[in-house]
Amino acid sequence: MITARHEELAALHALGLLEGADRTAFEAELTAEPELRAFAGNLAELTAILALLAPSAAPPPGLKERILASAAAPAPEKMVSFQPLRLLPWAAAAGLAFAVAWLSFQNLSLRRDNEALRTGRELAETAYRMARNQLAERTLLAERMINDLGLRLARQEDLTRLKVTALAALAGDTKEAQAIAVWDPEQQTGLLTVEKMPALATWQDYQIWVVDPARENPVSGGVFTVTPGGRATLAFKPDQPVTQATAFAISREKKGGVPKAEGPVLLLGQ
Amino acid sequence: MLIAPAPLLLLAGFARPADDTRHDAPARMSEDPANPRPADDPAEELARLVQAMAGGDRAALARLYDLLGGPLHALALRVLNDSAEAPDIVHDAFLQLWRKAGDYEPARGSVFAWAATLVRNRAIDRVRTRKRRTEILHGSAAEILPAAVGDSDAADRLGLAEQAGAVRAALAALAPEQRTALELAYFGGLTQQEISARLNEPLGTIKARIRRGLLRLRETLPARP
Repeated sequence: MITARHEELAALHALGLLEGADRTAFEAELTAEPELRAFAGNLAELTAILALLAPSAAPPPGLKERILASAAAPAPEKMVSFQPLRLLPWAAAAGLAFAVAWLSFQNLSLRRDNEALRTGRELAETAYRMARNQLAERTLLAERMINDLGLRLARQEDLTRLKVTALAALAGDTKEAQAIAVWDPEQQTGLLTVEKMPALATWQDYQIWVVDPARENPVSGGVFTVTPGGRATLAFKPDQPVTQATAFAISREKKGGVPKAEGPVLLLGQ
Repeated sequence: MLIAPAPLLLLAGFARPADDTRHDAPARMSEDPANPRPADDPAEELARLVQAMAGGDRAALARLYDLLGGPLHALALRVLNDSAEAPDIVHDAFLQLWRKAGDYEPARGSVFAWAATLVRNRAIDRVRTRKRRTEILHGSAAEILPAAVGDSDAADRLGLAEQAGAVRAALAALAPEQRTALELAYFGGLTQQEISARLNEPLGTIKARIRRGLLRLRETLPARP
């Protein structure tokens, strides 16, 4: 049965708009469901018709001849003299080697994909566990946001939507600092956990920034301080809408924060 | 240029009987590929040409270029907006069709859809590379002009103004916001997020517009297998 969700995914797939895990998951569904596969194929054909709406533009003279000349160029393998009996053992060995190499490559690719998915999930779960442990005494509002994120993390489909970013230290005195930002683009909220951050002067705050290519300057996500042990957890919501969070940064600013980063950027993650 | 009359929608694999997608008939290109018999089903003719190309028939490639070179070049130019790059894309796409002709499976889609997808994907890759370079140089996203459906289109080159008009009319019948989202997605090569940002609408709204727009087109255009 074709559901509204199937229709949406098939439409996005036909236009090449599905990427990453969403695309992989949908193509797995296509393999398993003939009715859905036929529907998606139908939309793909329909999409191709849009090509005919392009304003007319005759190809330049000579393009056809250029294509035919390129097609006539002998493929490298055809230039080798063919001696079947002499080459048979080598061909068999080469074929075997190629098959082994191809299978190894496929195996490696699948393992890498699988590893990346598993790592992504583990990272998200780790971030969630850290946040959950450290937020026990935090405000009710922050806890509700964490639980909300946790519920979403439990659903596989939402994992792909959340952006989990590990921030790396840029400045010398934060070499041991660790920070993870989890970003929910739909809710426009994020969760930041940091450890081993240097202590601040009384007139200073740390400030989290969200880098959005659609905006000229990074968007502020708010300020925070750390415990004597250098820990902090911050549920943040940028003060402006974020179209696409491509990176997160933490800078050291004057107390209360600034609208545009002035202090040194200490940690950065993409 | 030799242009064969070919109903537009049939060319793209539409309005074929459901049991007519296998193309089991043997190839006829060996008879005279450069001057084929009149095609009662252009989609079948394209499939036969590709089948002949798989056997090394360059006349079939020439014939395929005659039929599709114009629309594919127009598509590449529409996406790239660069008359110097568009022929390169078409050249590479036809070479790909030539070299991969043996892999073509009619059951997986029409030749037209295959060729259009090849050209569009290559053109969009080129646009995105260009955009990344521009972003690095200028720190801002490159502008991609919204699509404008012209009075004269690639299908007219096939002498098929009436059928092309049907497709244009189907697109024109869409709600403007659905049409804009489809045009940005197909010709602009934008991601879902970029379309959302461009139109200043939530991502969910953009997905819904694309879904409804394509389904509406599907209802409006003639019957499909």
